[in-house]
Amino acid sequence: MTIGFAGRRQRGLLILLGPALLIYAIFAIGPFLDVIRLSFMHWDGLSPHARPAGLDNYRAILARDPVFWTAFSNSLIWTALSVAIPPLIGFALALALDQRLPGRGLLRALFYMPVIIAPIAVATIWRWMYDPFFGIVNATLTDLHLSGLIQDWLGNRRVALYAVFVAYVWQTVGFSMVLFLAGLQNVSPTLLEAARLDGARRAQSLRYVILPTLRPTITIVVVLSLINSFRTFDIIYGMTHGGPVQSTQVLALWAFWQSMQLHDFGTGSAIAVVLLLLTALVVIPYLRWTRRAEERWS
Amino acid sequence: MSGRKILLVAASLVACWLAAPARAETTLKVWTISWDPVAMAGFKQMIAEYEASHPAVRVIEEARGTDEHKAAMRVAINSGAGPDIYYMWGGLGLGGEFVLAGASAPLDAYYAKYKWDGRFVPSALLDTRRYKGGQRHGVPFLIRGEGLYYNKALFQRAGISAPPASYDALLADAAKLKAAGIPAIIFGGSVNWHLMRLMDVLLETKCGAATHDALMMMKADWSSTPCAAASFAELKRWTDDYTLKPFMGLADDQAQGLFYAGRAAMILEGDWFVHMLDAHGVLDNTGLFLFPTGTGRLYFFSEDFYISARSPSKDQAADFLDFITSPAEQQKHLGQFATTSVDKDINYASMNSPLDRQWQAILAHSTQTFVNGDQAFPVDVTTEYWRLINAVASDTMQPAQAAAGMQTFIANRKR
Repeated sequence: MTIGFAGRRQRGLLILLGPALLIYAIFAIGPFLDVIRLSFMHWDGLSPHARPAGLDNYRAILARDPVFWTAFSNSLIWTALSVAIPPLIGFALALALDQRLPGRGLLRALFYMPVIIAPIAVATIWRWMYDPFFGIVNATLTDLHLSGLIQDWLGNRRVALYAVFVAYVWQTVGFSMVLFLAGLQNVSPTLLEAARLDGARRAQSLRYVILPTLRPTITIVVVLSLINSFRTFDIIYGMTHGGPVQSTQVLALWAFWQSMQLHDFGTGSAIAVVLLLLTALVVIPYLRWTRRAEERWS
Repeated sequence: MSGRKILLVAASLVACWLAAPARAETTLKVWTISWDPVAMAGFKQMIAEYEASHPAVRVIEEARGTDEHKAAMRVAINSGAGPDIYYMWGGLGLGGEFVLAGASAPLDAYYAKYKWDGRFVPSALLDTRRYKGGQRHGVPFLIRGEGLYYNKALFQRAGISAPPASYDALLADAAKLKAAGIPAIIFGGSVNWHLMRLMDVLLETKCGAATHDALMMMKADWSSTPCAAASFAELKRWTDDYTLKPFMGLADDQAQGLFYAGRAAMILEGDWFVHMLDAHGVLDNTGLFLFPTGTGRLYFFSEDFYISARSPSKDQAADFLDFITSPAEQQKHLGQFATTSVDKDINYASMNSPLDRQWQAILAHSTQTFVNGDQAFPVDVTTEYWRLINAVASDTMQPAQAAAGMQTFIANRKR
């Protein structure tokens, strides 16, 4: 029996993809399926066997857990802010740093630098900046004669989530900026020049030339921001541990806390599954919508 | 290389092999948390001393961060690849969880063989006796007492001449400090367990020993035991009136910094705090008294070494633990791990700090103790206990609601 060209090609592809697929199956798909399985079990991490729990873990988090719904609404607030604010600032920075400015390379590096700092280090830096007695934030407000704005930034449950979010923006805005800068390199100078000759103002060039070209980049930035925001955990853990009074708790951190601190792997996995569904509910329709929009444009 | 040289090298290698000490017959794996460098060096020296006197035994020590240690223990417990000896907190909290899961071997026979009951101070032994069926688990290694440290100059400025002897006197002193414009006490609210200490001692004060224990063991109903809500109300009084604000966003180290700087008159810390005071040059201006709960019990926790139930070398492990807790070793390494040894017969003449001496007297003579909430409760209840304490302290929940909330959570627990 002889194998045709298509068969040989398929076998070649399998050989090339095989190792990567195997690693992906072991380290991504396997644990992913295991989390779903564990969400229907009781397991404390100590017993040799997990016990079936049916829907008990889901009932526990939805009806009896005093923190779950706070974490759920915080995750939604955090995601809405994460999709709007860092990409907008990143886009503005990208537009500014795409111009021929002196020290442009240095400025790009400076704005990108927080991205490469470990989130736990960012948390420590900002925790000290927010120190209500000795921190630079309150000291600056005092120097500016704005003492009325002084806060216990991480201790006041009404502002703590937003105070942590400011640190998150500082850390992530460089990432959006770099993606937008890359996207801006695809904007045709000829088109921009043509628009200018046709009398288009800057805002019109932005709307009718730059933004349509950046459409794939915007999709990538929004999707990545969505996914990253839903799984945000380390910066909140480092700055507040989810407090005060669980007011900065989010689903990813609460899933971790249930599993790794309270050793209730069933409940932790159920929260992780809810987070997964929430992410899928937001990301999949958005991707479909952008694909349709792209098809319409093309 | 000539044939003669090759022969010479080969002969040297054989001679080295013959001269090398006999290979250890038993290997003991000891898992512990990463202590500070002085304590780690002391522990490694203890191991070296044991190996020198027991050539047939090799001791391998592995130290991890606290959370990593707990996680590693969880993985190891069912794998058979765990340690022969592991470090864990004493009592029914974290230590008890591993005992309950069958990770620890009962040590009754070794307590009898090595006469450990006669070696350790009474407070150190209490936690080894708390287990089901009267079994003994864990060998005491560290004991920790907690009390109120106070700034002598600030007390004097407020007209307080001596530490208070009762809870009412403590409240009166707090009011005097407030009148003098001095915040009475400081806590770091963001780390949960720091502010929890205040609630723990208030429960002991308002409920008394028996009811406090019943509440912590979840045998008494928090919502219908009046002192539970009264303790939350007392917590609110302290955080509203006598605590340096704002404190909810502070970590323990930030709160300690404010105490060193004289911004608050008292702080509720453990015996380990003496060395921190010394390092910050404020030892002479600091005094110590136990929170006047009125029950005579010491606010305390212990840290023990447990022998793993799966260890094939339990006898050797017990022998090692007997060695490192022997009076000779404890005397040799005095002050490297804590202010006070777990042993009775220790000479403290070399330790001159009055606060160290005060702790030694307290820990040596305490026969009854109560533990920190996070050692007493299972971890899920601890998390809720923290949430409710923080809610009361930050004025988002009334004390009676908090007591009811505790009971609701306990009633809803799955396990």
